Amino acid sequence: MDFRLPPESVELAEAVREYLAGTHGPDVLRRLDAGGNRDLRIWQGLVEMGLTGLLVPESEGGLGMTLLGGALIARECGRACLAEPLVDTALVAVPWLIARGETDDLAVIAAGEKLVALPHAVNPWVADGEGEELASVDPLRNLVAAPEDAGDDPLLLDLGALMSAAQLVGLAEAMLDQAVAYAQVREQFGHAIGGFQAIKHKLADVAVALEFVRPVLWRAAQAMDDGLTSAPLHVSHAKYAATDAAYLAAESAIQVHGAMGYTYEVDLHFWMKRAWALAGAWGDRNFHYHRIEDAALGGAHPLGPQHTFA
Amino acid sequence: MKLGFSDMEEAFRRECASWFEDQMSGEFADIRGIANLVDKPERRKAWERRLAEHRYSCIGWPIAWGGRDATLNEQVIFAEEYARAGAPNRLNHMGVELLGPTLLALGSSEQKARFLPAIAEGTAIWCQGYSEPGAGSDLAAIRTRARRDDGEWVIEGQKIWTSLAQFADMIFVLARTEDGTSGREGLSFLLVDLDQPGIEIRPIRQINGEAEFNEVFFDGARCPVENMVGAEGEGWTVSTTLLSFERGISTLGQQMQFRNELDAVIAAARRNGKTADPVFRQRLAEAEIGLRLMRYGALRMLADGKGGALAGAALTYKIQWASWRRALGELAMDVLGQEGEIAPADAEGWPLLTNLYLYSRADTIYGGTNQIQRNLIAERGLGLPREPRGNA
Ligand SMILES: Cc1cc2nc3c(=O)[nH]c(=O)nc-3n(C[C@H](O)[C@H](O)[C@H](O)COP(=O)(O)OP(=O)(O)OC[C@H]3O[C@@H](n4cnc5c(N)ncnc54)[C@H](O)[C@@H]3O)c2cc1C
Repeated sequence: MDFRLPPESVELAEAVREYLAGTHGPDVLRRLDAGGNRDLRIWQGLVEMGLTGLLVPESEGGLGMTLLGGALIARECGRACLAEPLVDTALVAVPWLIARGETDDLAVIAAGEKLVALPHAVNPWVADGEGEELASVDPLRNLVAAPEDAGDDPLLLDLGALMSAAQLVGLAEAMLDQAVAYAQVREQFGHAIGGFQAIKHKLADVAVALEFVRPVLWRAAQAMDDGLTSAPLHVSHAKYAATDAAYLAAESAIQVHGAMGYTYEVDLHFWMKRAWALAGAWGDRNFHYHRIEDAALGGAHPLGPQHTFA
Repeated sequence: MKLGFSDMEEAFRRECASWFEDQMSGEFADIRGIANLVDKPERRKAWERRLAEHRYSCIGWPIAWGGRDATLNEQVIFAEEYARAGAPNRLNHMGVELLGPTLLALGSSEQKARFLPAIAEGTAIWCQGYSEPGAGSDLAAIRTRARRDDGEWVIEGQKIWTSLAQFADMIFVLARTEDGTSGREGLSFLLVDLDQPGIEIRPIRQINGEAEFNEVFFDGARCPVENMVGAEGEGWTVSTTLLSFERGISTLGQQMQFRNELDAVIAAARRNGKTADPVFRQRLAEAEIGLRLMRYGALRMLADGKGGALAGAALTYKIQWASWRRALGELAMDVLGQEGEIAPADAEGWPLLTNLYLYSRADTIYGGTNQIQRNLIAERGLGLPREPRGNA
């Protein structure tokens, strides 16, 4: 067993993190919120980094990366609270099309000229789909009502859930970072509030939760790359744990910000609302909880000392 | 101990119920069940006046000041029926429940005569000027200053998070009146008219896009020296007396709102089949248990308290309800699942449960954060050593 992340994927993820940190800060979120929601220039930048072709085979002009590599990028999209529909097109639709042998559009997708928004029966809406608009609690998400005849393909569900989990991890990490930064500078009673144990412990709890979510996420991505029959279980575990961590991070970060955390003026709410939206996307906590329950108790997943955990 | 209500009390309940129902299905139907604090302010002011006409604006106050001298039981009943009828949150909560009782306890007879009638009549709406950018949890770090000039206090400084200031007529201000003091010393409690050139009010948008709270800037704002409650330099005592009302009987109405909210969560779970799911059955039952813990706890504590203030043990109440409601907000979102992501496109306001999730994020912050409440319980309640606190 080797539980290290592939260095080239990590390098790319770091480059993306830096790029987004430089070009997609809170000022951009505010500008998008003020009008338009989407910006072709941001999309073009992502295309130029090759991100639309991340999972497209090299023969079709892409980077041919694994789902694990893709999950690392989805996490960065969460961290930056990216509004453009990169994850749905490049990290959910592309691998699904490839698995179905529908490869005609891959080159166009890699070139950034086509968006794919796939409906699924588990979602009452389609993000960035076409049709009559529904408002999301997240001001930067564009929803339309799902068609009545949306399919319930299990692979699509797992891909959507995996990449949502990855984004939730990134979102939670970003909220923790913001809370830590605020706790360093906000003073009350003559001390930085981060010096009070009540605050330290709260933030430390978020750090612990995240530390244990990340491996579950990587494990789920690898299980899908390996085509394991247990992959859905791993995905559910990741989505469940990532949602928990994101809720905890949001609640804690708001608390640490005091009344500031309850305003629209402080950036935090963008991340909090994206986490809220993605918590329900591609199966909410309850949905995945029951998939785990079925697997653990229903006999589908062998338990006991004679079986490995892996 | 005697639980339950007497025949007379039940008669009062019927009287309240039928009057609220008349109003809420009749003339005030347009403000029935409003979930936020900012919609239709003019109508809500009219509602305050209507309550007053019926002597329902401040039933816990003495008869001489426009109240009914209502007993604790009657106030419980009133709050229950008020919420049951879906009457809107009181725009003058801070006048009726916070400042009024404080003036009754600590105000001079001239102050009572000048300020109480307008609150009872619903014609003066009040807001609370405590917090400042640098003084939140550390309230005693207040820097807003007031100095005497020709029979008046002249005020310079800034308040923040002032709820409903944009609709209010008056503000009670905690200000530093003695040079060179810090912490709890040298503060005074002043009653200030908001309608004057030295005051500017700027709304702050909150997380759900609405603006309930504000920044209030004082640039040479004035009030007569007689508008100081309590002695000069004794403002801290006055302000904490007021806080004991904030955390006391004024929360009874809120409890009925909690009941309504939990019922709404249960109704949503019935609608989408989640009540058939053991996970949700248990979580809903836990919420019900939590609600009952709070309810009986609060009634017990109020039974011991004086004049609607909470006594010592009651330090525990704020953190209990705030944490309960914050958890209910998250449960509501789990019950809604994916549906919870959909927000209404129109300006009618967000649905009850979505708003519950957002609003409940603030419950553990205002009126004393959970962290501060725990410190108080541990230090004052359990006698543990004090945390380092700067000069407060
Ligand atoms: C919806 C809403 C309405 C409000 N309405 C009003 C109003 O009408 N009038 C008014 O005057 N104020 C109002 N407030 C302000 C409220 O009283 C303050 O938000 C509150 O006192 C906390 O102060 P702060 O926001 O500055 O947070 P801070 O005091 O900056 O706290 C930030 C974080 O640090 C923690 N912390 C601070 N000190 C300690 C410590 N010693 N130990 C451990 N942890 C600590 C806090 O718990 C919090 O988690 C309102 C607030 C909200 C959210």
